[in-house]
Amino acid sequence: MKRKNRVGSRIFIGLTFLFLYLPIFLLIIFSFNAGESSAVWQGFSLKWYTALFKNRLIMNSLYTTLLVSLLATAISTVAGTFAAIGLYSLSRRKRDALLVVNDIPMMNADIVTGVSLCLFFVAFFEGWGAFAHWFNTQELSVLGHILHLPDELALGFGTMLLAHITFNIPYVILNVAPKLRQMDKNLVDAAQDLGCTWMQAFGKVILPEIKPGIVSGALIAFTMSIDDFVISYFTAGSSTSTLAMRIYSMTKKRITPEVNAVSTLLFLSVLVLLVLNNVREIRQERRTEQQEIRDPSFFEKLSMKFSHPSYKWVRRGAGAVMACAFIVAVVLLTGATSSRPVVNVCSWGEYIDEDLITQFEDETGIRVNYQTSESNEDLYSLLKIGGADYDVIVPSDYMISQLIEEGMLQELDYSQIPNFDLIDGRFKYLPYDPENKYTVPYAWGTLGIIYNASMVDEEIDSWSALYDDKYAGSVLLINNSRDALGEALLYLGYSVNTTDEAEIREAFSLISDASQRKVFQGKVMDQVFQKMEGGNAAIATYYAGDYLSMLENQADGVDLRYVIPKEGANWFVDAMCVLKDAPHYAEAMEWINFIASTKANLANMDYIGYASPNTQALEDYPSYYEEKYGEELDPELYEIMAAPPEVLERCESYVVLPPATRALYNDLWIELGA
Amino acid sequence: MSKELIRLRDCVMSYGDEVVLDHINLYINDKEFLTLLGPSGCGKTTTLRMIGGFLSPTAGDVLFDGVRINDVPPHLRTVNTVFQRYALFPHLNVFENVAFGLRIPKKDGDGRKVKISEREIHERVMEMLEVVNLKGFEKRPVSALSGGQQQRVAIARALVNRPKVLLLDEPLGALDMRLRKDMQNELKRIQQEMEITFIYVTHDQEEALAMSDTVVVMDGGRIQQIGTPEDIYNEPKNAFVADFIGESNIIDGIMRADRVVEIFNRKFQCLDKGFGKDEPVDVVIRPEDVDIVDEAAGQLRGAVTSVTFKGVHYDTIVDFYGFKWLIQTTDFCPVDSRIGIKIDPDGIHVMKKSQYSGMFGDYSSYSEEYDELDVVEPEDEDGEERDSQEGGYEE
Repeated sequence: MKRKNRVGSRIFIGLTFLFLYLPIFLLIIFSFNAGESSAVWQGFSLKWYTALFKNRLIMNSLYTTLLVSLLATAISTVAGTFAAIGLYSLSRRKRDALLVVNDIPMMNADIVTGVSLCLFFVAFFEGWGAFAHWFNTQELSVLGHILHLPDELALGFGTMLLAHITFNIPYVILNVAPKLRQMDKNLVDAAQDLGCTWMQAFGKVILPEIKPGIVSGALIAFTMSIDDFVISYFTAGSSTSTLAMRIYSMTKKRITPEVNAVSTLLFLSVLVLLVLNNVREIRQERRTEQQEIRDPSFFEKLSMKFSHPSYKWVRRGAGAVMACAFIVAVVLLTGATSSRPVVNVCSWGEYIDEDLITQFEDETGIRVNYQTSESNEDLYSLLKIGGADYDVIVPSDYMISQLIEEGMLQELDYSQIPNFDLIDGRFKYLPYDPENKYTVPYAWGTLGIIYNASMVDEEIDSWSALYDDKYAGSVLLINNSRDALGEALLYLGYSVNTTDEAEIREAFSLISDASQRKVFQGKVMDQVFQKMEGGNAAIATYYAGDYLSMLENQADGVDLRYVIPKEGANWFVDAMCVLKDAPHYAEAMEWINFIASTKANLANMDYIGYASPNTQALEDYPSYYEEKYGEELDPELYEIMAAPPEVLERCESYVVLPPATRALYNDLWIELGA
Repeated sequence: MSKELIRLRDCVMSYGDEVVLDHINLYINDKEFLTLLGPSGCGKTTTLRMIGGFLSPTAGDVLFDGVRINDVPPHLRTVNTVFQRYALFPHLNVFENVAFGLRIPKKDGDGRKVKISEREIHERVMEMLEVVNLKGFEKRPVSALSGGQQQRVAIARALVNRPKVLLLDEPLGALDMRLRKDMQNELKRIQQEMEITFIYVTHDQEEALAMSDTVVVMDGGRIQQIGTPEDIYNEPKNAFVADFIGESNIIDGIMRADRVVEIFNRKFQCLDKGFGKDEPVDVVIRPEDVDIVDEAAGQLRGAVTSVTFKGVHYDTIVDFYGFKWLIQTTDFCPVDSRIGIKIDPDGIHVMKKSQYSGMFGDYSSYSEEYDELDVVEPEDEDGEERDSQEGGYEE
């Protein structure tokens, strides 16, 4: 009976661990996949790791992550340790109350901490701006220099560092406090009695006593810092991003094996830290348990040797070197960012050929601070909070019209963007910017049907396939109210921009009926790649550019096709705009001009798979492709990438809907979900 | 021996409304072994910490060699302390614990930092370890030592700095009975060998009597009596001292004339004089000063209510007119037997009435009181006040 139980419990434990670690294990395996797919194994390769270390954006964010984690750990460890000591000199009642307060930030949802810190910083900057303005008008001078305070502060590395310090301190206190509690309170008295000042007593007695707590506090703080996403996201502003933020933006469209590789590394480093910490703790426990005389280990001998007073100069020297390194790091950090002109760009993940950034920097000497956002809506809310100081953003058509309406964009100086003339007339003066005062198009594409020809027995040419019982259980509905309802509206012959409630409700009942008949396998965005590439679903709707990358990665026996239905489809334009308060207007013009060039458009079109709005680039792409890959570009694929004028004719782009209609969309979508 | 070293002048210590020390006046001579004796919360540790420099009196002065040192921090005072539960540094071995104070650079008269050479440190530590019988233990971690050995390390660590005064805060409290007795002798020996002043805090009256040159009995933040152990035992000033030091039967009496005191309506000869005529007094009769005689021959007569064998003697409780006495005698008297007692004039000690009158000296609830007297002192007598007022590191 007992034995049986034991077997049962072992199986249970095994399953638990499997459940916990299988996903990570899969991620690690697929980071070594030779192919690009996350569903199909195509052989072992280290190429994603190589690509990772060559990826400028990832390396930059890795550097940022390490720097912010190390600095935040160092500062919060010192602050937290002294705070804990301070707590322990309070009366018990006050101390207990404060320890509860200390626990709250750890329990608090990251999102709350993040948003509140963001709001706090923004509020502070506003106050500071007023103060600096007043101060600068006083024209105070010291030693002949007129003191000038910067009056425009923005979220950035500094605020993120402060945020990290803020959320790390409680962890340090939590680790140091028990050690202080265990410590004999007479030890400090004893040290002072033997001739120490308080500071000497701190260094010679308190510190060695609570060191294990400090070290584990620091390790945990570092771990928390290195994998924090939410708080960093809200406090880093536009000019900085950590590794976690970078990974998140890279997963916007699909999980590339590069993400797997970097996640693997991140997971392993956190694992190593935790193991280190645990081993240390176990060692310590054992030491206090045994408490017998034993030969000191090599490291202990070494540390004993260096803690001997005659080696004081060694320790002092080491301290001095560390202090210098710290100062140099800070100076380099601030110096590197301030000396060169800069332009802050916010775009989407995987939406630029990164070589272009390097080229632009080499040509102009302007440093590009390239950040990415998750979606138009995310970008919009970040801008609304005031947490960003981007110069150039690349929103989609409907969002542009909303931003213009709300006065958040600045008119462009087209005299500085001669390459605007290279943009095809079809992409100018579009409804979202009728006078074309604010935008230069970046890329465009269509949203059509992707289907697996080996799972359907006909050529699909209508949206009706999405609602057809024939394909019950193998249709993927796009998880976005505007697109899903837009498709239904198109099928019914209405405009995607209709504000007629009856039409919208009719479109909705089409979807909800199909949903009740279990036609849809699910509502998806990112998962569409795995599902379609692996042959797990027959029909989906997605962007033409992404279809091309699915095609490259489809598994054996899968035959993916792309079609723009006869009823027409949605087509979109993403265009570059400059924000109202952009701090680097001139640099922004240079960037926009550079990206609008034929050379840049060709490189981007090739890299991202979306069509270019540049006439010359559109025309030249097939020959560019042939030159680059040594084979002819399939004209059918080219037509999918860049829909020919007669197809585009059938398509309709989104404009921003009035608030009442947006609310209706929202309500209907929630209803569908429930 | 007679040179005055430390003086507390009108020292008051109070936390808000709570008075912990109430106008303490005390001087301590050079090379004296002085014990502060009293129950939990009597202010003895507070007094010690004031001398050590960990507390500064709310009012009054602490003088050292005639110089006011109220505001001199502990690390600049030439006194060292042996703490309750030793407070050894767990991360250092025996040698380094003892060497700790020597390694702290001290300022000399000209404000220059003076460092003691490694060689001298080694010599002095080893010498000190020899004094406390811990030679050969210098490489041991302190956590690997027994309680008594840790105690010796604590003493060596304090003494190696050659203080003028050594403060000892209940140093033997955590040791078992046997070890305590050994360490008492050891401490006395060390004090005589080193020829320095010891100020010793304890709640154990036996310890105080056995070791001290001078005993200061404290209660309620006040000094109740200062004197040699013999004075304190034989001539207690009030019922508190009489009860706290040794066993006492304390009875209400009336002073009828010089050298005549009336107890239970009977007149007894005594040696005390100078009281007012018919003044009510407290009369102390030590249990060993009572002779048991035949009932008929006794000055007082009563019935035995309990007998406990103690080895050398019997603890016999006798009921005299409803008041229970403790008598220590080598004669066995069975329970319920009726006996008489005789008391010699020098066995009777008369005290003025005080706030403590009527609180002590009746053995009617003998067993409980016995327990109460032997109760182990809480670890930190005024820890609570200190914790709430100026903090500490204990849990």
